[in-house]
Amino acid sequence: MRLDPYTVLRVLWRSLFIQAGFNPEGLQNLGLVFAIYPALQQLYPEGEALNAAVRRHLATFNTHPYVAAGIVGGILFHEERIARGEEPAEQVVQFKASLMGPLAALGDGFFWLSLRPAVGAFSVALVPVLDVWAAALFLVLFNTVHLYARGRFFLLGYRYGDGLVAHLSAAHLPLWGERLRSVAAACAGGLVAWLALAFGQHERGARAAALVGACLVVGALTFGLLRRAVSPWALWYAGAALAIAAGALL
Amino acid sequence: MTVILQHVLLAGLWGGLLALERRAFLQAMFSRPLVAATVTGMLLDDASSGLFIGLVLELFFLGSVSLGGAAQELETLPAVVAAAFAASLDHQSGVHGTPAVWALSLLLCAPLSRVGRAFERRLDARAQRYGDRARLYSDEGQLRRAVRLNLKAMWPHFVLFGLLCAASVVVGTFASQPFALLPTPLIRGLAWCYPALAAISAAVAVNASHARHAQRYAAAAALVVLLSTLAVVRLR
Repeated sequence: MRLDPYTVLRVLWRSLFIQAGFNPEGLQNLGLVFAIYPALQQLYPEGEALNAAVRRHLATFNTHPYVAAGIVGGILFHEERIARGEEPAEQVVQFKASLMGPLAALGDGFFWLSLRPAVGAFSVALVPVLDVWAAALFLVLFNTVHLYARGRFFLLGYRYGDGLVAHLSAAHLPLWGERLRSVAAACAGGLVAWLALAFGQHERGARAAALVGACLVVGALTFGLLRRAVSPWALWYAGAALAIAAGALL
Repeated sequence: MTVILQHVLLAGLWGGLLALERRAFLQAMFSRPLVAATVTGMLLDDASSGLFIGLVLELFFLGSVSLGGAAQELETLPAVVAAAFAASLDHQSGVHGTPAVWALSLLLCAPLSRVGRAFERRLDARAQRYGDRARLYSDEGQLRRAVRLNLKAMWPHFVLFGLLCAASVVVGTFASQPFALLPTPLIRGLAWCYPALAAISAAVAVNASHARHAQRYAAAAALVVLLSTLAVVRLR
């Protein structure tokens, strides 16, 4: 029993809705069942087997939404074997339970803590050059990686099942994550300098230099205070109050 | 003072769709402040306000992350609301894209990220009923109904955040009169406030990058920008 390509594609498409029914107890369980249901329908045409298959995937499930595609593919890998009687149903339950945590950490570390900040900071740094197209650049850069990764993880999971982990390790995501975090820091730092210069050009001579310097000092001071665990919100509003006072009085 | 109905509807529809995209479908970063605010500004004929509000909020919320299902601050809501507020304020006062308006919008609307998170937690708790119902339906053999509950759970997000974003256009329209009455020194102060907020947000972004030598990379990049700008100015 093998799933037809149309059903596999349907599952991949439906996996994009994995977070739609997020709830405090089951977390992504509704989304997971929604995604794989067409495959379960094809593998288990008779009532009780289909019922049992749906129920075993209503258990609590939570992982990174992009990396979830790999687990969804792996579920199809295992469910095909379960339908053929080659392995017990517990195998797919174990597969999910063992992978969802580690892959969540991998996905969070790379996509949320590295790729998104890097692409965000890079795009924002290009606002002076690209204007509104910086937003388009952000979407293109991020989603090129995102959509490729989602599709690739799904195919790896469907083809290799538990062997997905070895293939993900070969991608060296933590190493790329570290590099991307450096890009984020550099872009944000460069932007402080550009903002200071842009602000200073509204004045002339020594006043311009003083404003540029003040902007740079604000940036550096903020960073230092953040390292000492001062709240970013407190710094934001304190800085705003000082700037308003300075602008109003000077 | 006229509320432009088209703007109210566009802001509401866009805010609602972003709530869906952020949570329920695809997560392709349309809901990030840089994109959300810029497009809001474009929809309301004030692209520059949207862009420069989105720039600051994107940096400020750069490190905002949902780990393990924990609710993060909802950065999309202040982005859309601030951009819509600024655009309607600009339309009513007849000026376009001033740092004073951007700063005022940011200061008033940024805390909505906490409000958004509170709403989202409430909606998640409400979604528990769908999880319970799914188990009930599957026990009764109504599998198709159980499966479709996944999609039903996302509509409250669309409605609530759409209404909030639509309301921000109306509030911005009525805020134009008090804004016009602000004394000139205060408006000048607000104009100075914008680059300060941007610089602080950029520093927050450097810290949030979690790069191993974040301050070195940031300082080096700042130096490169300063020196290259000075070189260009000298050459001219």
